Amino acid sequence: MRNLINFLIQYSVLILFLFLELISFSLIVKNQEYQKSVFFSSSNAAVASFYEMSNSVVEFFKLKASNESLSEENTALKNEIIQLRNKLAAVTPEQKDSIRFHIPPEMEYKFISAKVINSSTNKLQNYITLNKGLRDGIKVDMGVVSDQGVVGIVKTVSDKFAVVIPVLNDKIRINCKFTKNNYSGPLQWTGVNYQYANLNDIARHVKFSLGDSLVTSGFTNTFPEGIPVGTIDNFNIKESDPYYTISVKLAVDFRTLSHVKVIDYKNYREQRYLEQVATEK
Amino acid sequence: MLTVIQNIVSFLLLVLAQVLILNNIQFLGFVNPYIYILFIISLPVRLPRWLTLILGFAIGLLIDTFSNTLGMHAFSSVLIAYARSFIIKLFTSIDEGNNPTPSFHSFGVGAYIKYVFVMVFLHHASLFFLEAFSLGHFWLILFKTFLSSVITILIILGLKSINRR
Repeated sequence: MRNLINFLIQYSVLILFLFLELISFSLIVKNQEYQKSVFFSSSNAAVASFYEMSNSVVEFFKLKASNESLSEENTALKNEIIQLRNKLAAVTPEQKDSIRFHIPPEMEYKFISAKVINSSTNKLQNYITLNKGLRDGIKVDMGVVSDQGVVGIVKTVSDKFAVVIPVLNDKIRINCKFTKNNYSGPLQWTGVNYQYANLNDIARHVKFSLGDSLVTSGFTNTFPEGIPVGTIDNFNIKESDPYYTISVKLAVDFRTLSHVKVIDYKNYREQRYLEQVATEK
Repeated sequence: MLTVIQNIVSFLLLVLAQVLILNNIQFLGFVNPYIYILFIISLPVRLPRWLTLILGFAIGLLIDTFSNTLGMHAFSSVLIAYARSFIIKLFTSIDEGNNPTPSFHSFGVGAYIKYVFVMVFLHHASLFFLEAFSLGHFWLILFKTFLSSVITILIILGLKSINRR
């Protein structure tokens, strides 16, 4: 017994060291399931409100650029309204007698605007924190876009905040296609440069050229079809490979990202349910 | 008592500097200096080792909470907090009665630089490999470790040479 106590005293520091390392390591392993650890992440209310405070200072320096992009978007939207009004005026008389009510496909999506209050671009797994959460209608798995293009997918939501896995995370793959010929493949980040990602699974026979633009394919129910992802920056193919290696310049500049929109797809549940039932039988 | 207050202040200042300023510095796209470990580096030499470990764990967990990397910084900080006394023994010979804080003056310039280099490199290497959680990107990670370490070391040595005590 005395030997045991002596042993414990002699190696107490080593035991403490191993104990702390074990705690840290189990935290890391558990944290691979990112959703479970809302408490110790920046969607924790205390930490997030701290970031919100610091962000309100940083935000001030980005005001000019934000204003410009907002006013640009404003004019684009106004133009669209005028066009739509004209179309509506042309169509209205014919629709008076139609009784059936349905949501037309182009109205299935609603946008919830949110502000980025924390983000990184320098890790292998980057995350973005938004200042809106459950009470603003944000749910897990919703798509996130900015005026420039695709940003990522919502991964965790707390009452007031949400954490997004952006394109700049090697755990996420976003299906996108060429605007020219509709061939699609998954886009994955390489982990090096925040401006570039790789497009995989494009077969040898597909024809494309530098500068071609890529948009979301609409095959997943997170993003509607046609949201810009990026442009082809570089590609090559070895004699023995069946697929191209394509480097894509991302449409979104993640360093200066400050305002985003979360996509609320109204038929998500129904589509998901239907697909599950179909695969079960 | 004075050293205790000094250490508490440096703890807070380093965490704030790390979280608010340095986590936003992304030189070349992925080089990110972590200077908060200066706190562990600058603890008094004869501080009980269990206390060093606890303090290392505390500052690591705090940084983790702010940067969404739960456990990674805590792991690396505890690692260097444990390795510290061995590294100090390796490079310096401090008399039994003395309890200096590590600096150019107390260690000598060469020994201090070696000490800082080993501590920073150990921390960054363990951190970046944990972050990747695989050996798949081995050379990329080693490259990241090297670049970030160099910048962290330069910042730490710069801070220390301004603040000679």
